[in-house]
Amino acid sequence: MNEETAAAIESQGASRYYTMGDTTVHAVENVSFSIRRGDFAALLGPSGSGKSTLLNLLAGLDRLSTGCIVVDGRDLSTMDSEALARYRRLTVGMIFQSFNLIPTMTLADNIELPLRFAETPRAERHDRVLELLTNVGLAHRAKHRPTELSGGEQQRAAIARALANRPSVLLADEPTGNLDSRNGQEVMALLQDLNERVGVTILMVTHDPSLAAHYARQSLHMADGKLVTEVEAER
Amino acid sequence: MIRQDLFELAARNMRNARLRNALTTMGIAVGVASLVAMLSLGIGLQGFANHQLMKSGMFQTVFVTSRQDVRNMDENSDAKPEESPALNDDARTKIAALPGVEEVAPEVRATAEVQYGDKTNFTLLAGLPQSAREEDSVEKVKGRFFSGPKANEVLLQRDFAKKLEKDPASVLGKTLTVRFAERQNGDTSGSFSIERQEKQFVIVGLLDEEPFGGMRMISRARVFLPTQTAESMNLMQPADTQQLVRSTSGARTYSMLTVRMKSAAYAEIVEDAVKKMNFSAYSYLDATRSMRRFFAVLDMFLGIFGSLALAVASLAIVNTLVMAVLERRREIGIMKALGASDIDVKKLFFAEAATMGLIGGALGVALGWIIGRAINFGSNLYLHKIMKMPTENLWTVPLWLVAGAIGFAVLVSVLAGIYPAARAAKLDPVQALRYE
Repeated sequence: MNEETAAAIESQGASRYYTMGDTTVHAVENVSFSIRRGDFAALLGPSGSGKSTLLNLLAGLDRLSTGCIVVDGRDLSTMDSEALARYRRLTVGMIFQSFNLIPTMTLADNIELPLRFAETPRAERHDRVLELLTNVGLAHRAKHRPTELSGGEQQRAAIARALANRPSVLLADEPTGNLDSRNGQEVMALLQDLNERVGVTILMVTHDPSLAAHYARQSLHMADGKLVTEVEAER
Repeated sequence: MIRQDLFELAARNMRNARLRNALTTMGIAVGVASLVAMLSLGIGLQGFANHQLMKSGMFQTVFVTSRQDVRNMDENSDAKPEESPALNDDARTKIAALPGVEEVAPEVRATAEVQYGDKTNFTLLAGLPQSAREEDSVEKVKGRFFSGPKANEVLLQRDFAKKLEKDPASVLGKTLTVRFAERQNGDTSGSFSIERQEKQFVIVGLLDEEPFGGMRMISRARVFLPTQTAESMNLMQPADTQQLVRSTSGARTYSMLTVRMKSAAYAEIVEDAVKKMNFSAYSYLDATRSMRRFFAVLDMFLGIFGSLALAVASLAIVNTLVMAVLERRREIGIMKALGASDIDVKKLFFAEAATMGLIGGALGVALGWIIGRAINFGSNLYLHKIMKMPTENLWTVPLWLVAGAIGFAVLVSVLAGIYPAARAAKLDPVQALRYE
């Protein structure tokens, strides 16, 4: 497979159904799309459109009902739970609207967590954590707990944690949703920088079209679990 | 996840709910303490009983007689007496070569006249084997034991020494003259003559209690000399007349051999081996079987009662960990999103359970030990001050019990962690992360 042209994310007829009593809810229905390696894509849609479910499917946190999703050449639909855990650990990084840093741990400990799961040798970890913190400009905050930091700082720390095991894909769920505009811009600038400098593929869920228009090269619009349009920005 | 990380994370999680985990750990500690307390009491009592009996030398001893002997003690034996070989020097050598045998000594007893200064007494003389020095009664000898197996030294019964001197201790180091009947082999085989002989001995020790004399109560003797010395004196034995009537050869036979083992553990093997040689053998081991059964049952019941508290503590672990799962729902979801597998999550909860078990177990053993010291102290106070008896350690905490109790606490804790760990591992990360 050619590294340059191969898709980072390839979805074909991806669907996720829930059964609630007698009714079946089609959270994601027959979604097909493709995101190129190194791309910065946005997934747009109103609340309940299924974009978070799709993101969870891509993150390997949820399982497809039908269809298949191939990330970095790996088909998620065929993986068992152990393989999915390994996929979450090494192939994708995830950041959340509410940051999801563990409040009882320092930033350094939070960032070390995925390295522990990946069984990175202990000797390498310290340097790696420091490097990650430096990259997001938080080296001086290593020993602080998340609650002692501003929202922007917390999200930057969460980004550092998501990149700990050098994933090829970064999935962001409303990363600026809980931030004021100044902090939001800072986080978006960091994501853009990572995308351009490190080459990590980014898929960002947002309900803010202007954010998508400003940063993303490709936009996917969802409504009622279906993909409505696929817009490629000319940038 | 590697083990070190697992336990680091577990320790961190436990620090975050310090009070709750400390209380649960204390629960385990109390459980383990009660288990250790109960079992050590059982072991201590058993050890106490064994010690008393072992020190008497009873259980390290097997008595061997020929089945030809009219005084044969092996009543259940269906072997024909005439098929049993003679208990002679040849047999003695064979028995001495059996595994675990420390010493084989014949019973030597004879009446003798004992002269001390101008006092003359007619009394019973007995041989005391070297191995007897480990017996409780001989260990407490005033003065000392024989300097060697062939020494010309004697130990006296304290009451007998009192007859000789007002202060019995003053006989130590003094000389004693013994007049005895010596058996001398005659011209024809099977015949012997008896001559009066005299021999001088140094008194080296006084015995308060009577040494264990086996079946024939040599302990009634007042003067004890080393068995080998006694043998070399060719003392005329009461059984010699029996031998004279029955025996066809003039070779010496023994009426009984006392076999001392290195430990009581060999008694059964030696007893069986001797019986295979077609001699009669008897030990007190048979008599102790019921005692050992009693202690096994006692230990079991003490163990069950002791375990009850630990069972309650294990419920506290389940409770604590289920609470932790509920409380850390989101954290578990985050960990899974970051790549923790179900097994990692499960192991993390097991590590927490095991840590509580380990700390609780260690504290419990310490607590149990303190309770034990207190019981020892109390019981000794009672024995010593009120009963005027020597103090005893009723309480023993052997190393295997320490290790076993801690291991058991860890095992119980990990078992208690199965349900919470499975629940944590099953947690759906999507649900857990949605939960605010």
